[in-house]
Parts: sequence; C-alpha cells; structure tokens
Amino acid sequence: MTTAATNLRPPPFLRRYLTFTWLTLAVAAAIMVFEAFAHPSIVVNTLVTGGMWALMAAGLAMVFGVMNIPNFAHGELFLLGSFTAFTVFSPIQDALFDDPSLTWLKVVGPIPGMVVALAVGAVTGVLLEVALFRPLRRRSRDQWVMNTFLLTAGVSVVAINSYRLVVGNDFHGVPGYWIFPPINVAGVPISVDRLMVLLISVVTIGLFALFLRRTRLGRAIRAVSQDETGAQMAGIDLNGIFVLTMAISCALAALAGASLLFLFPAYPDVGLQPLYTAWFVVILAGLGNIPGAVVGAFLVALLQNLTIFYVGVGWVDVLPTLFIMLILLFKPSGLFGSAVKGVWEQ
Amino acid sequence: MNAKSTVSSTWAARLRANRRRIALVAVLVVALVLPFIPPFTGEDYRRWLVGAAFIAAQAVAFDFTAGYINIVNFGFAAFVGLGGYTSGLLAVELGIPPVIGMVVGGFASGLVGLLTGALTLRLRGIYAAVMAWFVGLALMGIVRNLPEITRGSLGLAVPSLLDSPENLPYYYVILAMLVVTFGVLAWVVRSRFGLAFRAIGQNLAAARASGINPTRYLVINFALSCAFAGWLGGFYAHYYGILTPDVMLTSHTVEVLAIAYIGGRGSLWGAAVVAFPLSIGVEYVKVQFSTLPGVHLVLYGLLLVVVMIYRPGGVAGLVGGLEDWLLRRRRQDPLETPNPA
Repeated sequence: MTTAATNLRPPPFLRRYLTFTWLTLAVAAAIMVFEAFAHPSIVVNTLVTGGMWALMAAGLAMVFGVMNIPNFAHGELFLLGSFTAFTVFSPIQDALFDDPSLTWLKVVGPIPGMVVALAVGAVTGVLLEVALFRPLRRRSRDQWVMNTFLLTAGVSVVAINSYRLVVGNDFHGVPGYWIFPPINVAGVPISVDRLMVLLISVVTIGLFALFLRRTRLGRAIRAVSQDETGAQMAGIDLNGIFVLTMAISCALAALAGASLLFLFPAYPDVGLQPLYTAWFVVILAGLGNIPGAVVGAFLVALLQNLTIFYVGVGWVDVLPTLFIMLILLFKPSGLFGSAVKGVWEQ
Repeated sequence: MNAKSTVSSTWAARLRANRRRIALVAVLVVALVLPFIPPFTGEDYRRWLVGAAFIAAQAVAFDFTAGYINIVNFGFAAFVGLGGYTSGLLAVELGIPPVIGMVVGGFASGLVGLLTGALTLRLRGIYAAVMAWFVGLALMGIVRNLPEITRGSLGLAVPSLLDSPENLPYYYVILAMLVVTFGVLAWVVRSRFGLAFRAIGQNLAAARASGINPTRYLVINFALSCAFAGWLGGFYAHYYGILTPDVMLTSHTVEVLAIAYIGGRGSLWGAAVVAFPLSIGVEYVKVQFSTLPGVHLVLYGLLLVVVMIYRPGGVAGLVGGLEDWLLRRRRQDPLETPNPA
C-alpha cells in the first residue's frame, strides 16, 4: 500500500530520468539570469554561439539518429560553409567599400553568401551519402557505427588537407557582415552581426522543427530514426530519406560556418572546434536526440563562455570535458537520453 | 599422424602449421638488416626507419583495443604524449634516467587510461571513442595551459635516451620496443583474456550472457593499450629531444588509426608490417612534394576511406584470403589427397 503523499509524486521512471536533468537546467538558467545582470556579454555570446552550435549539433544528432553515422567530418562542412560565404561575400564587400551609399546592399549583402553556402552544403551531403555511405551500406552493415566513424575520420583528413593544398593556410575572414552601429538592448550594446546570427539560428531551428514535426517528409525521417525496418514496410524510401537527412545536416553545418564567418575566418582547421563542440553537445544531450541537442548547445555555449570569462580561453577544452564526464557518471545515456535503446546499440 | 605421410610432407605440414611464425621471423630479419641496405644506409633514411618502427609499435597498441574490443581510442595520441611528458619531466626536473622514466610514463598513461576506461567503457562503443577523444583534448589543453611546468607551445627540451647522435642505435631500441609490444600483446590476445576480448568485441550481449563481465575486460584492455602508448611516448620524447603539445594532436591519432586499419583490424601483425612501407612511402611523398603541405595526409585519408569501404579486413584480411585460396588449391591437388579416387 502506498500513501496518498507518494501517489502525488511523479512515477519512479520519471523521477529517475527528470530530476537530475531539471536540476542541471535550473542551475544553468540561474547562472544565465545572474550573468545577465553581472556580465551581459556572457549571455549575448552564449546565445550567439549557442545558436550556431545548435545548428551543428542538431544536424549531427539527426544523422546519428537516422543513419547511425557518427559524422566526424561535420566540422569540414562548417569550413566549406565559411569558405563559400567568404567567396560569395568578398565581391559584395568590395562593392560596398567602393560605394558606401548602397544602403540596400548593406542590408541584404550577406544573405547570398549564406544561401549559397546552404546549397553547397546540401549538395556535399548528397555526394557524401551517394559516393561513400551507400557503397559501404551495400557491402556490409556489420559494425556500422565504428566503420562509418572511421570512414568520416578519413574524409575529414582528406578534406582538411585538400583544402590546405588548394586554398592554402591563410585566414579568409571578414571584419563583419552588417556594418551598422551596435544596437542597445536593455542598455547593452550588441553588434548587429550577433543579433542577426541569433535571428538566423532561431529561424532556422524553428523551420527545422516545423519540418520535422509537421510535414510528411519530416515524419518519414523520424520514422526511420525510430525503426528502419518498420518505416520501410510502411513504404518509406530509405535511400531517399538517407540522402535528404545527410543533405539537411550538411546544409545546417555549412550555414553555421557561413553565419559565423565574422568570428571564425575560413582556414584549414577551423572546423575542429565546432566539430568537437557539436560532439560535446550530442554526448551531453544523448546521441540522436535532436531537441536535446538544441538545448544542450546553449548549455555547452554557456559553459564555454563562463570558462573563457572566468578561467581563460585556453581552458575551454578542459573544463567542459570534465563537466561532461561528471554528467555521464550520473546519466550515462546523456542529459536527455532515454532508457530506450536505439537500433545501433543492440 | 598419418602412417602414409612421407618425411617431406611432414615437413610441409610443419611449415604450413607454423607459417605465421615463420613469416614474422622473416619480416623481423628484414627489419633488422634493413638499415644496411641502400638507400637506408643514409641518416635521413634511417630517421624514416625509426619513425616507421615507432608508428608501427603505436599501431600495434592501437589495434589491441580497436581490433579486439572494437573500441576506437580516439585520444590515443594524447596518451602517447602523456607518457612522453611524464618521462621528459621526470628527467628534466628530477634527473631520473630516461629508461626508468619511460616505464613510469607508461604507468602514468595506463593509470589515466584506466580511469578514462572505468568512466566511459560502461557506455556504448561510440561514447567511449568520443569520450577518449575529449580526454585527449583535455590533456592537450592542460599541457598547453601549464607553461610553468610543461613550457607549453615553446617546447620542453628533454635529454636524449642514448649518447649517440646517430639514428642506428635508436632504430634498434625502437625495434626492440616494437617486438616487446607485439610479443606481450599477442601473448595476451592468445590467453583467456584474448578470448574474452574477442567475444566482447564481436557480440557484447552474448559475451555478457556467457558470464563475462564486459566492463572489467574492456577496462583492462584499454588501460594496457594506453600503458604501451605511454611507454612508446617516452621513446618519442627522448628520441626527438623536444616535446610540444602538438604530439597530442588528433591528426596523430588518425595517422596511427589509418595504419592500424589499413594493416587489418584484429591482427596486430598487419599494422606492424604495413607501417614500414606505408610510413616510409608517405615520408618520401612528403619530401618529393614539399611545396604541397599535407599531401601525405590526403593519401592516408584516401587509403583509409578506400579500405573502409572496399577491404574492411585490410592487408591482413587480404593475406588471410590469399592463404585460404592457396590451401584450398593444395587440398584439391591429387597428390595430396589421402584417398585418391
């Protein structure tokens, strides 16, 4: 017999999986509120970089959830995006330099670069799936997760060094996208670039979530991530879904690279930090969990910005790692991980 | 023993039964005399040989984890670096001779590997791989950020292992270390432990069902591999005489990983044998195309991609296939069949 008091508490499985998670989120929220008064720049940086990590991590999580591929070449899509945006934006920047009175170009100028980066990323994703993952899938699905991990590691090395051979080791960056005076938000001056990047990430994540939840294709993607065989029996074209998933994931990474060009100039190794940050996020949130990855991205961004502000920029790899190991001690399947095992785990 | 079998066929049978061992001894002999065969008589080429043997030993230690328990230690280079720094700092700060320092470095790496493994190996394989990578990044960050101890990116000058400035004695030292690494790990693999490792690597659930405690074996394997990585790192430190945090870069892990997988996962010897031609070939390319930095890494990456897609068994798998094919042909040979129709 249980008493009325215990009946009011959430059932055991909820208690077990929610308490620690909510506690962590509450602490993060409290820090955000505190820092909003003490050091608003931390909050701004957290939101700006967090939005972009969310784009990276959501793509990574989706590819893992749907195709069971732990993509180690995700950072190179970031590089591809930033270099594409640089190539497209440079002439526009020059035109603006020659004639600063073109206000309309000042407003819309950065957009083409991002759109082209998005498209180039999507095409690369299609190529990756068709040229690499499909042949491997056709040959064997034994130890698929490890094999694709190594495969993408190879792709990453080839991509970084090919870029180095073709483009060189120089930094290709822009001083800023939208050259306007900073805007005051609640008394804190924030550069227009940062606000726009935040806007881009919020809009993209919103559209992405709508696509996944409200469209037939999105439902098909989610179906494949839950049960591949079942989805196939329901008439879903698996190959089509794989191509689409890879294209979206790569496009998101490229968009992140393009949007952050003013913070991360394009150079061969630029993808490394976004890559391992996205992996931090995905591990923290639980592999394959897309909404978790979005929340986790802001958590990791907060952690990184706190580390940079209070400890020093060099420790940005060390402290978040320790924190993640600590979390995994308590929650081995990630902060939002469920106890349900995915196909890849069995 | 078949009474009909002649002396020569017993010989052949014995040869066939010990073919692996014979091949390995042959390879070892080649490796021993290699520095006296031109062009390897030159110091530059002998330096390449040292590099090749070093990467071969690392690849063997790497394959012990990757090929048997199917966990990719993506922070491998950091464990190598940790051993190197431990040994180097002991020599610089306390004047401990490198030979002892290297062993201590091995223990240090093994200990950190033990802790990492104990924390991450209860998770699924990919978690462990990525967490090992994070630990590696964290170790590199720590080394970078404590310049008052490690001198950070400036580089830590470390006394050399031998008095000789020549490469030849170093080559024999690292060759001996390669043989020890291979010998110990091959011995472990053939023991009861090896059976458990293989069982876990192939099917975790089945291994658990047959009474193996997977985590324990996984941690032992991981820590042992890390310990050898640290020991080899000690050689690196006292051979090159300078340590920077770049030893721990992920790209070094990828290099070792590429060689281990091209050599053939789960074979140990494949990695050791392939490392020599591959690493020397790559050095050659690096020198030939010195105006194109990174071209050798493109080659490594492409090879890895091709092997992963088309020949997942690597060179060891190819050799195994060839061996099967030869033996099958022999069995069809009418002279060899015991009861010809």
